[in-house]
Amino acid sequence: MLLKNLFAIGKKEDLVIAKISNQIKLICTACESFRDAIKNRDLRLMHRIIEMERDGDVLKREIFSTIYAGAFLPYLRPDLFRFVHIVDDVFDLLEDAAFNYLDLTLNEEIEFECARVAELNLRMCEMLSITFQAMLNGEELREKILAVRIYEKKIDDIKFEIIKKVRTVEVESFWEGTVLSDFISSLTSMSDMIEDASDHLQIISASLR
Amino acid sequence: MKVEEFMTPKVESIDADRSVYDAIERMVNKRLRSLLVTPWNKNRDDFGVITARDIVFRVLSKGLDPAKVKISQIASKPLLCVDKDADLVDVATLMEKHNIARVFVCDEKRILGLVSLLDVMSATIIERASKGYAS
Repeated sequence: MLLKNLFAIGKKEDLVIAKISNQIKLICTACESFRDAIKNRDLRLMHRIIEMERDGDVLKREIFSTIYAGAFLPYLRPDLFRFVHIVDDVFDLLEDAAFNYLDLTLNEEIEFECARVAELNLRMCEMLSITFQAMLNGEELREKILAVRIYEKKIDDIKFEIIKKVRTVEVESFWEGTVLSDFISSLTSMSDMIEDASDHLQIISASLR
Repeated sequence: MKVEEFMTPKVESIDADRSVYDAIERMVNKRLRSLLVTPWNKNRDDFGVITARDIVFRVLSKGLDPAKVKISQIASKPLLCVDKDADLVDVATLMEKHNIARVFVCDEKRILGLVSLLDVMSATIIERASKGYAS
């Protein structure tokens, strides 16, 4: 039996599932834009990401209010809330990174590594989307969650390299250093959150069995 | 999945004239298992590779002093390369045939990156996880 049939027994549930799917699609689009913005040094595109974060907030509120209106059995609601919150937190980190990037000039080497992390963040979000769809289809999630974890480990390796390189960068002021540090911290922390989100899907899937 | 998507683009290198001890230090500091060996003859376009395996089996386990052995004495060459458009199966087949854990990704005379057994394993899992879903 499709998990969808157990999971979505009415219009409200269908609406919540559709909105969560949209939320994940939106984060994927935002990550793709972020990657392109770094590659092309496109500040206008970075601004667009900040706007997308607001769209994400709207979606989050809509999901919550529909759940509060009576969608899903009470025991499922906390895990769904938590999942949506985590995805929203990823969006917040992405927005922070985009915002900090507007005031930065990265050296070539660090920019290259940051672009790699941005690409991997996008791949993780896409895999999260696949994992969500697979959960709705009642599929085993083990391999998908492992794929998310593989990406997260790759990002961890690059993160350590970036941190080593950043320590050799000279900054002219405290704020310049803070902005650079915050940018890297936001960019490299997203993967941990996406991994948490995928782990949460496993929890939701297990609670439905 | 093309090898370009899952290779490591930055390849650490070391000069062939340096000692094996220098290679050990570099590998430990950067947590690497191999280094690209850059040509010792400037007229030759001749790269090699030195791995932890080479160091252990050809130097350390034989009781030789790594500070006194030059990298050029134990490096393997020529490099085994694949094209950036090669796929996972091509790479795995090459690794199995030559009993090696890594291959370089090359484009004419330029080295684009490195792909290891772990990269192939990870990429295979990702490919399996994505099967049937549009990205």
